[in-house]
Amino acid sequence: MNWTCEQTELLLTDYLDGLLTADEQRAFDLHVNSCERCTPLVSSVVHTMSSLRALPELETPPRLVYNILDATLGPRDKVTGWAAFLAWVRGFASPKFAYGAVSVAATFLMVLTVSGSINWKKPRLADLAPSNIYRNTNRQAHLAYARGTKYVSDLRVVYEIQSRLRQDNDLPTNRENATPESKPQPGRTDGSGPAAPRQQNRANDVSSQLQVLAEEVPLLSGKLSLVSSGRLDFITGGKLGFAIGGKLGVR
Amino acid sequence: MEQDAQLVQQCLQGDGSAWEELVRRHSRRIFNICYRFTGNRTEAEDLSQDVFLRVYRTLASYRSAHGGFATWMTSVTRNLLIDHYRRTKRDRVTDSLDDKMPVVENKESSGRRPDEQALLGELSAQVQNALTHLSPELREAVILRDLQQLEYSEIQAVLAVPEGTVKSRINRGRIELARILQHMGVRPS
Repeated sequence: MNWTCEQTELLLTDYLDGLLTADEQRAFDLHVNSCERCTPLVSSVVHTMSSLRALPELETPPRLVYNILDATLGPRDKVTGWAAFLAWVRGFASPKFAYGAVSVAATFLMVLTVSGSINWKKPRLADLAPSNIYRNTNRQAHLAYARGTKYVSDLRVVYEIQSRLRQDNDLPTNRENATPESKPQPGRTDGSGPAAPRQQNRANDVSSQLQVLAEEVPLLSGKLSLVSSGRLDFITGGKLGFAIGGKLGVR
Repeated sequence: MEQDAQLVQQCLQGDGSAWEELVRRHSRRIFNICYRFTGNRTEAEDLSQDVFLRVYRTLASYRSAHGGFATWMTSVTRNLLIDHYRRTKRDRVTDSLDDKMPVVENKESSGRRPDEQALLGELSAQVQNALTHLSPELREAVILRDLQQLEYSEIQAVLAVPEGTVKSRINRGRIELARILQHMGVRPS
């Protein structure tokens, strides 16, 4: 059967509805699959139909029904008394209002909890007074700020000590390892000379740095003085950093 | 359908609540037809109200033997929409398609991909826009078939034309709409 582009256009809906005969359908398929004009036409029509069917059904505008009823049946009698109150309360049952109310309540509870305004074990009505909420929130904010400042300050001290101790990365990790495992090669110029004198020099250097640090940080002065009073040669750099860090952490 | 006929009878006997029920049952469908035809919410709302006013006034002329109440209402809606189209035809500014139609943004060049919901919303707006560019006779046929999912016989009753004409209009409407969408840059993915 001979099939033309005009036939494709004319019978496209019948084809999509499955109303063509078997012969017509075969001819349609053969033509469309080989025609540069009809292939995009069929696919775009199918796409258009699916787009049309995917269009959402709009909600009726809320006032439309009331406007129609007012225009046809006349203005409705005003509801008064209990009936009006019940109608008003029924409005709160709408899902939109309920979701909104729940989210507002959740936010309010979260703010109250975070601000520490309410003791959930012993809640009191006075906790909900605005002045109490403000006072507790203010207190919590200041406490959080003070804790944060102290934490940052402690971290700074620890990092400063560790960075000063790491300045010489050749420091042996303990006294046993103080002696280099391999003898220095002749002609070596990388500064890795005999360990003992260099270790002692470095220990003196670290000791002096710790003394300066102890003066800067009075709280640590007692702990650092132990370290800097000649016992440093028994403690390695890494262990010292760890020991001071640990003490600071505990404090 | 039977329930509609019963409600109509109650309305004719002066039962206001029956009329209210009819309005609630059909207002969404009528509003959607009006919106898809005009592409304007305010116009659709006003036209829906006019439809119900006319139905209310001519309710006595409805005979269930002539078809379902929904089909009859759709027919009234269609007549009002065509009247409205003819009335406002002179007022409409007839710009060329190139001027009026938004062209799809080139996604690759824009550098960011909108999420699926945004894409769907964009496509809906483009399809709605394309619909309003169809001639009214093709537009109503496509709306009734592809949006309202009416049978050919129901569309035939609404449009008061032979079934062959209905099919032909739907066919031409779909092809024309596909071409308009292609012109707007919307292509099958």
